Amino acid sequence: MEAFVSALLNGVLLGLAYGLAAIGLNLIWGVMKVINLSHGAFIALGMFASYFLFHSFGLSPFVSVILVLALGLVVGMVAYFIALHRVISAPELSTLLSTYSLSLIIIGVGTFVFTTNPRAIDVGLGSLHVLGTYIPAAKVLTGVYSLIFTVLLYIFLYKTWTGKAIRAVSMNRVAAEFMGVNTTFILSLSFGIGIALAMVAGALIASVFPFTILSGGVYELKSFVICVLGGLGSPLGALVGGLVLGLLENVLTLKMSVGYVPFIEFLILVVILLVKPSGLLGKE
Amino acid sequence: MSEVVLKVENLETGYGEVQILWDVSIEVKRGQLTTIIGSNGSGKTTLLRAITGVIPVWSGRILFEGEDITRVPAYRRTEMGLVMVPEGRMLFPEMTVLENLEMGAYNKRARSRMKESLEFVLELFPRLKERLHQKAGTMSGGEQQMVALGRGLMASPKLLILDEPSLGLAPKLVIEVFEIIKRLREQGITMLLVEQNVHLSLMLTDWAYVMAEGRIVMEGTGAELERSDEVRKAYLGV
Ligand SMILES: Nc1ncnc2c1ncn2[C@@H]1O[C@H](COP(=O)(O)OP(=O)(O)OP(=O)(O)O)[C@@H](O)[C@H]1O
Ligand SMILES: [Mg+2]
Repeated sequence: MEAFVSALLNGVLLGLAYGLAAIGLNLIWGVMKVINLSHGAFIALGMFASYFLFHSFGLSPFVSVILVLALGLVVGMVAYFIALHRVISAPELSTLLSTYSLSLIIIGVGTFVFTTNPRAIDVGLGSLHVLGTYIPAAKVLTGVYSLIFTVLLYIFLYKTWTGKAIRAVSMNRVAAEFMGVNTTFILSLSFGIGIALAMVAGALIASVFPFTILSGGVYELKSFVICVLGGLGSPLGALVGGLVLGLLENVLTLKMSVGYVPFIEFLILVVILLVKPSGLLGKE
Repeated sequence: MSEVVLKVENLETGYGEVQILWDVSIEVKRGQLTTIIGSNGSGKTTLLRAITGVIPVWSGRILFEGEDITRVPAYRRTEMGLVMVPEGRMLFPEMTVLENLEMGAYNKRARSRMKESLEFVLELFPRLKERLHQKAGTMSGGEQQMVALGRGLMASPKLLILDEPSLGLAPKLVIEVFEIIKRLREQGITMLLVEQNVHLSLMLTDWAYVMAEGRIVMEGTGAELERSDEVRKAYLGV
């Protein structure tokens, strides 16, 4: 029973973080119609940014996450102009190749600089006693922070002029331009936000699990599964999808080895694509 | 003589390698309703796309209030007061009616006047009042056209461009759209209208151009064009 409660709590907390990462992928798809194959690489980059800020400046990941967010925003916006701007209206294959090469560059350079030795951030915050079970405080903070970032994004998208412009561009780019929206800026900003969320999720997860520069791939797969679960283009769906995946993962590993998790995730992906391609929560 | 708001000079453009517009020149005067008629595929929408800046111009010039805007990005033109109500309405389907109207007032000039504009639009389209929180994508065609017109008016236009606002509407709603255009004209709003509904638009318009195969082939007052044999044969079916 205690193990089960613990699995549920872990599932929710990690699920929120997975959801946050997926929202980054989802936003980029929704606004730009670009499948961002550099998503995982940026998650890993977020992990290393957090690691570096922790070991060189002694900043806790839960403080430095703001810096990672800002860094991600800038890097993402610059990356948009370098890698995507010229191919944004081209057929999808071009943007796929373009984000894939971005991923190859980040992982290539990252492997050279950081090697593939595992790293960890030991925040040393101890554990919290919740519902009769012990949960690492870092994990609790990771979940709470993820939820806060998700809510802030939601408020930004629905309550501010810029956020509404992002949604408008996602629905009809030309119409948004007719409204006086600088759509080029909005596209780069959306990529910036998507990358920033991926890096933030990486930075938070790095306080919970050890990682290497290659770890992003695992979380990229999770993000894709979550987007398919929740329906591409729906941020709320991504949150729910994240929770579902987090719970599944933690409850299933009570009975089976962790090694099966990617296999199960992939299975979910394939089954949903076969049965309901628009996503479990997606519209037709 | 009233002042010229929009002047298009010897404009040529097209898509890819294919030229669509040939040496097109038109003028729109302040406070007037100017209409472009022409059969399907004659290049009317293409001309409006060039005027609003969503496709590049190959040669020729576009002047708005005396300023050369040929190379100005589309969103800037909206800020300047050149506002488009596009063919097919192009609403933001997942946004509510209110959000769509608010997006109309996105440009800086319009934002500060948003409250008054909204009152004006809701007075013009009282039916939208009960539907402010409905998703625009779930409305009927006629209602969507009202939202599209309202959204254009929210932008505080100095020139309102309407691309086939009556397209696909039932006859009763077509009349309603023209009633609205008439009212806007009485309010002194400068408009450039593209229409297939030749008879109704020629009745209302101050000046009209006829487009065929990417060229302006005729121009005159509505009454003049309605009397002309070519227009009668080609567009009025008499
Ligand atoms: N995006 C595009 N790419 C290539 N050709 C186009 C494109 N849009 C329009 N055309 C072509 O340009 C020509 C003029 O089209 P346009 O839409 O300007 O006509 P229109 O007068 O607005 O017609 P309608 O009354 O049907 O709206 C047509 O031959 C059309 O096939
Ligand atoms: Mg047209």
